[in-house]
Amino acid sequence: MDGVNLHLYPGEVLAFLGPNGAGKTTTVKMMAGLLYPDGGQVRLLGKNPHQDPWALRHLGAMLEGNRNVYWRMTPLENLVYFGVARGLRLREAQRRALELLEKLELKEKTHTEVRHLSRGMQQKLSLGVALMHDPEVLLLDEPTLGLDVESALRVEEMIREMTQSGKAILLTTHQLEVAQRLAQRVAIIQRGRIVLEGRTAEVLARFAGEHYLIELDTPLSPQQLAALRSLGLEGQGPTYVYQGDNEGLWRLLEALKPLPIKKVARAEADLLEVFLKVVNHV
Amino acid sequence: MFDLLWVEFKRSWINLRRYPSEFVGGVITLSLFFLLLYLGARYLAGPGANFGERTEAILAGFLLWTLTLFAYNSLSFGLSEEAQTGTLEQVFLTPYGPIPLLLLRNLAGLGTQLLLIGSVGLVLMWFTGARLSLPPLVFLPILTVLIGGYGLGFAMASLALLFKRVQQLLGISQFLLIFLLQYPLESEGWLRTLGYFLPLVPGAGLARGMMSSSAGLDWGALALAFLNGLAYLALGIALFSRAVHTAKRRGLLFGY
Repeated sequence: MDGVNLHLYPGEVLAFLGPNGAGKTTTVKMMAGLLYPDGGQVRLLGKNPHQDPWALRHLGAMLEGNRNVYWRMTPLENLVYFGVARGLRLREAQRRALELLEKLELKEKTHTEVRHLSRGMQQKLSLGVALMHDPEVLLLDEPTLGLDVESALRVEEMIREMTQSGKAILLTTHQLEVAQRLAQRVAIIQRGRIVLEGRTAEVLARFAGEHYLIELDTPLSPQQLAALRSLGLEGQGPTYVYQGDNEGLWRLLEALKPLPIKKVARAEADLLEVFLKVVNHV
Repeated sequence: MFDLLWVEFKRSWINLRRYPSEFVGGVITLSLFFLLLYLGARYLAGPGANFGERTEAILAGFLLWTLTLFAYNSLSFGLSEEAQTGTLEQVFLTPYGPIPLLLLRNLAGLGTQLLLIGSVGLVLMWFTGARLSLPPLVFLPILTVLIGGYGLGFAMASLALLFKRVQQLLGISQFLLIFLLQYPLESEGWLRTLGYFLPLVPGAGLARGMMSSSAGLDWGALALAFLNGLAYLALGIALFSRAVHTAKRRGLLFGY
């Protein structure tokens, strides 16, 4: 890691992205107090988890997917155990565990040993373990990996609810569409360095550049297309792409007259495009 | 903390109740191990040999060794297993800190271990015809042995945390426990003095004396045994704390 500086704010998801081996897990484990940094510091609501273990009361971590729970115990037993181990009283842990089993749609499996659950269910239970003590900060490593569509959407919904209730969430994932849907901010790490950080909307706008999508009612004939290519029109239709400045766009629209235009819109970049550009550029 | 002890106890009880074959397997293995040693020794001594009251002493010594063995290696086995299954990091995320949690885990595990050893004791008494009648006060020196055993367990767990695969070392070193539990503290001179500084020895010597020759409890010796046990527990915890620090610095808490 080299000069990594990250802030998590209440009510916000920070998508922490990067290729394999870039340093995501190392960073997450440093934040969780599981790995000492050679230099620098970690602060959880002002407390240093490396010096004050009680700082961990504010942190919930879902690490390495389904490898976070005891396979010989049931979901209820796991949640109660880890809830108490995180500082809850027994009665409170039991109440919270039942509430989470309902939320995570695991109620039917309350008394089934974890080893008999599907991978997706184990994954949801791991999320439950991280949420048991209702921490202010959550580190979620691939929370939707291996889940079926419905479960993944449910987990996404839960993350949104947690954000609305003021939690600060660090989300590491390779599912960039999930990150784009959930994250207010994004940071990309490459070879141990943060190579991009910013608000998701601003980053996407910056990378969208001067691209416009032009959709026509009917595709252009080869002759028309050949004539318009010199003005910057690309693609095969009926949706075409124009790359250039505003003035050029008006020239092109003028040339398209009187063809029926269905839509003209500024192209939006997605996080995948941003990620690939940034990672391949560095 | 009481709630944490309760959930740890429950975790250990669930493992016992849900996997009774492991419990039964433990009783059979330990009983067979003792019987093979016992019958083997009788065979070697010849048909005229009669252990008489020594059988009770041998059996009591064996059960004490087994109990100490659990105290010694359960932490290392537990840590290795958790590193393998991936729950170790979650255990280290406790705000209580790993050492208080593991101390409570030791205490909670004692219940099921006593149940196992009690069952082995009953089986062996039935097989050998020996009758163990332990004076209640003998549990005090046994407690000092357990405390020292947990200290050695923490020291060994330090190695388990850093190197993960320590089963071979655990296997070999458990015979060292036999030496410590049978150390001749009754002898004179430097051997006796040295004994008071070795782990487990003062408590084991005291318990052995009370069990075999029905000697009364020497409260002065008991105080020394407690001091010895607590010193080794403190040493073990200090080593483990150092190992946790090293493991966090080198990123050894995860993976196997």
